[in-house]
Amino acid sequence: MNEHDTDVLDALRASLADVTLDTPLETIVADGRARRRGRRIALTAGATAVAAGLALGVPSYGHPSTAPPTSSDALATGAGTVHIRTAAYSVDSLKSGALRVSWDKQAYFDDHAGLEKALHEAGFPVQMKVGEFCKGPNDDGKLEHGVGTGVDQVMKGRRVADDKVTFDFFPDAMPAHTELFIGYLDSAQLAITGGRPGSVERLVPTDQPLTCTTELPSDSP
Amino acid sequence: MKELEFAEFYRSSRDVCLRAVLAGVGERQLAEDLVAEAFTRAWVAWPKVARHPAPRAWVVRTALNTRISWWRRRRREVALADGHDVVVPPVTEPGLDPALLALLRRLPRRQREVIAFRVFLDLDTEATAKALGIAPGTVTAHLARAVATLRGHLVTADAKDTPEAGK
Repeated sequence: MNEHDTDVLDALRASLADVTLDTPLETIVADGRARRRGRRIALTAGATAVAAGLALGVPSYGHPSTAPPTSSDALATGAGTVHIRTAAYSVDSLKSGALRVSWDKQAYFDDHAGLEKALHEAGFPVQMKVGEFCKGPNDDGKLEHGVGTGVDQVMKGRRVADDKVTFDFFPDAMPAHTELFIGYLDSAQLAITGGRPGSVERLVPTDQPLTCTTELPSDSP
Repeated sequence: MKELEFAEFYRSSRDVCLRAVLAGVGERQLAEDLVAEAFTRAWVAWPKVARHPAPRAWVVRTALNTRISWWRRRRREVALADGHDVVVPPVTEPGLDPALLALLRRLPRRQREVIAFRVFLDLDTEATAKALGIAPGTVTAHLARAVATLRGHLVTADAKDTPEAGK
């Protein structure tokens, strides 16, 4: 390697020098504990329940018993709360009023209708489509990172880990006569993007007709 | 003791590992998720990881493998025609040079991985070769090609930042 090569690599290092990981150690340790405990339970539960797609009783991701849950993470109980466990996804009401939803990425493609139904039952208005992208008549079409205006108020991603994804949904923050639209790439569109999974989220009106297209939307310049 | 060891390892390694994985995947959010997942796996398997000759390399390798396993599953499921591991420019990354990230994403996967281990983890050629399971000569070749590709962007970027003499 010559001096010029070293200069290039130094410049490359410098360009990423300010990048830091903000995930707290406590989160890593809590997730590790939950995973280790989940493994033990899954081993004793056996394969029958898994094959049947039944709830295993394994604590959900992000709720390690060895670490006290924060008030915003605590599960809600009682009337009007929802706790759904399937092999494909889970939906839990939290004491904060949010819904914590975790799903298997592949199951999302196979059973987005099931997840949509589960969220409806939990009181969160959402419309999911695969291969189709919809918006309301007054939507300017602007997207940032594939997300439309206001979506960050009703939905926040928590962690993507290999084949699982977890989101918190906030039903109370949903404006009136509005629902969340989630459009996922279908297999043909995935081929266009080189296999990169992706989705578009927008807030759309429930009382006006939507305009839908199979064209892949792009981020605003 | 285990907790303290891991905590110290995490504190001293997380940023370095994130930069390495970011160079490997070219997308900030994805890199963060992969590194957090890899550290979680490292915690679960800490007795083994602690004995690894290069624990940071274990984390970065795990993070990159996690991504590959996801891609492989997706590719099988949707039966893509071309099967290339092409990454579409995803989003603007705050505080980062989007053109540089786009350029990194366009590099072949092996070149990105060599940069991750050789440049950001500062492993030597032999250790990089061992971590990636390729020959040392292949590491050198990949790095040379990557540098050739990156030079245009980085040198141009540097030149823009440097005032011309006499002005």
